[in-house]
Amino acid sequence: MNKLKPIFARLNKFPRVALVVIGLFVALGTFAPWLAPQDPSAQNLLQGGLGPSVAHWLGTDHLGRDTLSRLIIAANTSLVSVGSVLIIAMTIGILMGTIAGYHRGWVDDLLMRVVDVGLSIPSLITALAVIGIVGPGYWTMVLALALAWWPMSGRISRAVAVSIMSKPHIEALRVLGASPWRIYFGHLLPGTIGAVMVYATADAGTAALAVATLSFLGLGIQPPTPEWGQMLVDALPYLESDPRQVILPGLALTAAVIGFNTLGEAIALNRIPKPLTRRMLAMRRIEVAGWGKENSDA
Amino acid sequence: MIHFISKRLKHSLVLLFLASVVCFTLVVSAPGNVAVLIAELRGAASTPGYVEKVAEEIGLNKPLLMRYVDWLGDAVTGDFGISYRTGQTVSADLPQRMMVTGTLIAGSAVIATLLSLLLGFLGAFWPYKLPDRVSRGLALIGASTPTFFVGALMIYGFSVTFQLFPSFGFNGPVSWVLPWLTVAVLPAAVLSRVVRVGLEEAMTSPYVLTAKSKGLGRTAILFREALPNITPVFINALGTQVGLMTATGIIVEPLFAWQGVGDYFLAGVRFRDFMVVQACLLIFLAFFIVVNLIVDLAVLMTDPRIRRQWS
Amino acid sequence: MHDEPLLSVSNLTVDLLTAKSAIRPVDGVSYTVRQGECLAIVGESGSGKTVMNFAPLGLMPTGVTTSLSGSVRFGGRELIGLPEPEIRKIRGKSIGFIFQDPMSALNPVRRIGRQIAEMAELHLNMTPRAAEARALELVKLVGISDPSARLRQYPHELSGGLRQRIVIATALAGEPKLLIADEPTTALDVTVQAQILRLLKDLQRRLNMAMVLITHDMGVVAGAADNIVVMYAARAAERGPVDKVLVTPRHPYTRGLINAIPKREDPIGSQFRGLPGIPPTLGAPFKGCAFAPRCDFAVPTCTASRPPLVPSADGSVFVACPVVNEGRAAA
Repeated sequence: MNKLKPIFARLNKFPRVALVVIGLFVALGTFAPWLAPQDPSAQNLLQGGLGPSVAHWLGTDHLGRDTLSRLIIAANTSLVSVGSVLIIAMTIGILMGTIAGYHRGWVDDLLMRVVDVGLSIPSLITALAVIGIVGPGYWTMVLALALAWWPMSGRISRAVAVSIMSKPHIEALRVLGASPWRIYFGHLLPGTIGAVMVYATADAGTAALAVATLSFLGLGIQPPTPEWGQMLVDALPYLESDPRQVILPGLALTAAVIGFNTLGEAIALNRIPKPLTRRMLAMRRIEVAGWGKENSDA
Repeated sequence: MIHFISKRLKHSLVLLFLASVVCFTLVVSAPGNVAVLIAELRGAASTPGYVEKVAEEIGLNKPLLMRYVDWLGDAVTGDFGISYRTGQTVSADLPQRMMVTGTLIAGSAVIATLLSLLLGFLGAFWPYKLPDRVSRGLALIGASTPTFFVGALMIYGFSVTFQLFPSFGFNGPVSWVLPWLTVAVLPAAVLSRVVRVGLEEAMTSPYVLTAKSKGLGRTAILFREALPNITPVFINALGTQVGLMTATGIIVEPLFAWQGVGDYFLAGVRFRDFMVVQACLLIFLAFFIVVNLIVDLAVLMTDPRIRRQWS
Repeated sequence: MHDEPLLSVSNLTVDLLTAKSAIRPVDGVSYTVRQGECLAIVGESGSGKTVMNFAPLGLMPTGVTTSLSGSVRFGGRELIGLPEPEIRKIRGKSIGFIFQDPMSALNPVRRIGRQIAEMAELHLNMTPRAAEARALELVKLVGISDPSARLRQYPHELSGGLRQRIVIATALAGEPKLLIADEPTTALDVTVQAQILRLLKDLQRRLNMAMVLITHDMGVVAGAADNIVVMYAARAAERGPVDKVLVTPRHPYTRGLINAIPKREDPIGSQFRGLPGIPPTLGAPFKGCAFAPRCDFAVPTCTASRPPLVPSADGSVFVACPVVNEGRAAA
């Protein structure tokens, strides 16, 4: 339990909205199969495009499938694919970044040049180019996005690795004759992974957007698996008659991304001093009032 | 100064060369026999010896280096080969498509710049007060809403419900409004945060304390002291966003039934039309390189510290 | 009326409220500065000397809320409680500021000429043209060669000493009555320090300004100041004319400070005489004398209550030390 304390203390620094939304998204995504009230793929053409009812809380789509169930299962789809993309991208990124940060010199130069080029091309274009050559499919999408995503974590982990390597205790280890393997696996890698995880979480929103966008374009997650972007594009022809089916998945996705982006912003803004909140100010004033004042001039 | 520009130009040329190599390799490494594909397209795949004839025709039998040189030579003159799908030249309506995408990006860039400066300054002027909260809330929503959803909402709101703007096709300048706005939302949101955070950071710097000690007011400090300091940062971010707009265009162009490069690229990806993918990719990469060059030069003009290094 | 000092601070207490903590960097300090006079405020870093001068004038970094009490009268006007727009009119116009680090005090992307001229535009209602002419005049006044070329340059193109001269020129542009210089020579090369100090002293005399010189360098004090306030942990330890305080320091802290200055007659290789111990971190005010833990002469009364500032026999020097004051009373 004591080990959890620093984690909670750290979480407390982040905006609560972000934590709630992210927690909800992860919980929904993990337990989706048990939470979905109905079979998301069960069609009933006679009940297509219905409004909200007791049987279908959020109505049905044009094929008569239950929208609520599809929205919930879509959270699972999104969570799994975003998770896979980030894990693969982070593995590549951390490996490249720590190698660059450990070796420096020409290895560093070369890898960081590759990272620069990767970062300067929008991830959607990279992913689409890969899909265009290899052909669409679930794993193509995941790998294509991971390929577009790793430079980001590569750059961050390189920065972290460089700062770890310049710390005095690493210097001391080297002098003491610790093997490069021990420095790398025992000190550099664990330190980097921790720092990069936070950034990766904040970046998950953009990754979720990318998955949804590819699915919207018909090049990501294929029907009948429900996915927010794909649900939206499915309903787009019926925009005029049944806008709900477009707006609901759009809102679900936006809400999830807002959660991750709030976290990202909180991390980015951490270093700028902010004016005190009214409550803090009042607390400080009470503290100061207790000190009293004395005149030093006799 | 001239030294910097010439060095920067050389750098860009190297990048262009690398971009062309990437595009070429991508297609060469694609699975499947291209000659068979084209022969099938022409309905003559079963004719004996036809596949070999096609291979000869498009130079498949030549060594790789020769093929690259041929391809590059053609690409430079605007000839991107023959589409595997339609059998027509890829470059047929490419200039027109580039015009469409260019107009889309240019208009959106202007809208995004103006909007972001407005929102960013609102926030910086009343930090942590209502205008700041509103502007930051808008920025957060704008940066988190998927572009295709923004587009769908725009069509539903302005075109279906209020019938203010047409949702597709080209019918005069009005038909530009929705696509421009749709593409501008994300960069406007991101850039407004750049402005807001940049100004706030600038406002904590020692020279702002100096400015305060001179008796300058908040407005004067924001515009005279902080703004010139964030200009290079803003230009850099704007450049990145303009690059990202090509990606947004891929989503928005088909949504509004526009025939731009993004739409072409997407069609190429969809039907695995390698030559189209290759051509569009090369155009995109060249565009990024040019934008980066312009950004570097613009930063050079606005930041005296960098200017000194190169003069 | 004529006798009223230009600046008179009495019993000033400043509390700083930040997100992490509340501290009291200035605790009941009093001093006065008359026209044409130079007051040195001496103390270790963190003793509150900068906050004491900047906080009443609204010059605090963002993220910090200040709470002031006591009185700061400038030119017959009470500054504490004055709304920010009113204080802003005083800043730059009546009081000029010089900062520690000229590298960061100037805006890096604006031309030097503009940074000086805008002061003249703002405070002397000059046209941009006239203001440029005034800037040129000022740059000449602070002894910069090739002045018209300098005005068109950017801060990073100048050396540290030149930049500090520009900062001084800027501070003078509004024709202030009082100059507050916060460690004006600390960030400069040793060779340049003396030049800048001489320039400041010379300008102060020529323009008959009052000057508050914040420093931790006793050499600077001896060369420039008329009066001195020695600060220790947010409080004034000793106050009086420079010639008296430096020659016969009374407070053990002042004595220690002066004793720490290397002397010419010190044998080569002799040990550096520093003050033992470390200065306390600021927080809640101390019950007794803050220096007591480091003081060789401390007695139990030192920690019992805060020692008041007591005037010396001739009434010119004030010392806040029960031991010293007791001894005087006994003698």
